Amino acid sequence: MTADEESEVTAEPRWRSRPAFGTGRWDGVTGVALALVGVGVVARQPGLVVLGAVGVGYGLYGRIGEAPEATLAVTRTVTDDAPSPGDEVTVVIRAQNVGEGLLPDLRIVDGVPSGLEVIDGPARIATALRPGATATFAYTVRASRGEHEWGELTAITRDAAGSRERVTAIEATPATRVVCMPALAAGGALPLRRLTTADHGRVPTDLGGSGVEFYATREYRRGDPLTRIDWNRRARTGELSTLELREERAATVILLIDAREAAYVARDPRGDTAVETSVEAAGQAFTALLDAGDRVGIATLGPLDCWLAPGAGTVQAARGRETLATDPALAPTPNDGRFYRSLWFRRFRRRLPTDAQVLFFTPLVDGLSARLARRIDAYGHLVTVLSPDATADETLGQRLVRSERRERLRELRSAGIRTVEWGDEPFPVAVARATSRWSR
Amino acid sequence: MGRRAVSGRGREGDEPVVAVTDRDPETEGADLVPDHERDARPPTLAVVASLVAAAVATLAVVLVAPIGGAIVGLATVALTAGLFRRSARLLSWGVGIGLVGIAIAGYFGGAIEPLLVGGVALAFAWDLADHGLSVGEQVGREARTRRNVAVHAGTNLLVGGVAVGIAYGVSVAAGGGRPVAALALLLFGGVLLASAFR
Repeated sequence: MTADEESEVTAEPRWRSRPAFGTGRWDGVTGVALALVGVGVVARQPGLVVLGAVGVGYGLYGRIGEAPEATLAVTRTVTDDAPSPGDEVTVVIRAQNVGEGLLPDLRIVDGVPSGLEVIDGPARIATALRPGATATFAYTVRASRGEHEWGELTAITRDAAGSRERVTAIEATPATRVVCMPALAAGGALPLRRLTTADHGRVPTDLGGSGVEFYATREYRRGDPLTRIDWNRRARTGELSTLELREERAATVILLIDAREAAYVARDPRGDTAVETSVEAAGQAFTALLDAGDRVGIATLGPLDCWLAPGAGTVQAARGRETLATDPALAPTPNDGRFYRSLWFRRFRRRLPTDAQVLFFTPLVDGLSARLARRIDAYGHLVTVLSPDATADETLGQRLVRSERRERLRELRSAGIRTVEWGDEPFPVAVARATSRWSR
Repeated sequence: MGRRAVSGRGREGDEPVVAVTDRDPETEGADLVPDHERDARPPTLAVVASLVAAAVATLAVVLVAPIGGAIVGLATVALTAGLFRRSARLLSWGVGIGLVGIAIAGYFGGAIEPLLVGGVALAFAWDLADHGLSVGEQVGREARTRRNVAVHAGTNLLVGGVAVGIAYGVSVAAGGGRPVAALALLLFGGVLLASAFR
């Protein structure tokens, strides 16, 4: 593992500490002590006066000392920096106190990337470190699709009495990054709508020409190939006529994935989000379409810009795989940026080739996605909506959302937009089921 | 199509069904969000040590004055509740009640030694409970916290021991604590010294 070799590099301490602040833990203890003394003097009881003196001792304890800076050199190592999705990756943190002073109360919280789930042991520790001493702790995360970079560690230090606290952000060396790229699963054939390029391919068109399926007959024109002449008719009537066959052409397809914050929905809190399901299905569609000779590109609907221009060939396959796996616009957790619908739409239309059709992956849990699908369709880019079902039906609200989503699907269908909806079953099964209903 | 120049984070019509799991460490009310990463309860060592110390305090004060002891017992209950409900305010109430109990016991003329033991044990119980709450909140029960809690407990005991040693030694040296006013004046000096720091 390269990460292991890199960990041998001596760590440069890099930390940024914020000013210390009082926690107010021992506030008022001197006052209480004086009150005890007062009672003792009034009641002429030396016991209370002595107790008050002890209280003053605690007051002093709470006042001396300052929260130290977390003078830590931290190394972070991962067992595998290119795991497959679902693999368990163990992360080991070694934090050494390289400062001069004692850290009597030190709590460390590691900056685990938001897309990774900690499955064993919290990524945290509370300890105390002498100068030169090292604390080591480990935890395990489950790898998920995407490129994950660890953030800074947060170290919280307090003085011995706990009356002052300071937060220090520490950069671990080396910077830890895990890239998890799922293999694109091969998908079944995905029927496309009839918007094609001039190139030969597999999408049947309403054009007569060369092909395999009978389309029409027409009058013979000079230059028609002999093999296409309807010789039976010639024998019957004596007229020359030419058979026209249905042309099959290639299409340009944009896989548009809904990655707005609203699309990060899942059926249950630990389930895959609709974005995750969409990306997986888009991967299958991508491979299937590319194999069929179509030109495929990728775009996202969301605050971050992601655009892979349509193309074909093995290079495009590699690019598509990388985009789907690691593009920040398709990260496993939503981006905080704002999404500007009209700006996005203008940019999307400008980039979209005129003969491109759109496969729109969206959970359809809000009205905007359905409206956008109709709008893109209206501009002549035929749209097929592929919608993972992320709704649940336990509470009234969930049932309401589910029925609203059904209503949106129904409206899309009545507007002539093809839809595929899938819940628990695999994507290709849903495609096969939906396709049998579509009129060609 | 209702168009706005700037859409409100793309969220229109309705809220998503289930949001992504909230992993923000600063989120209050950990009960609402099932945080499967950690258990925010205070570390077991802190809880046990704190409750044992509270029990010791109760016992010590009961030996001097049963009424005061009963009140310190009430303080123990409040500390326990504060630990289990993860409420620092309940802990403060607990230590306040306990101090009242000790003051009552002292008012009715308890011996010095049990009062000192009760006071130090109460301070220890509160300090460890409050420390445990903050460690639980920031780090959690499942993480390694033993060393941290042990160091904190040790420091507290050390400070309590030194304070008792000095105060008790002075009171003995000052002639069995006969002139209370003199002791109080001595103490006033101590307070001035304490406030001189920061």
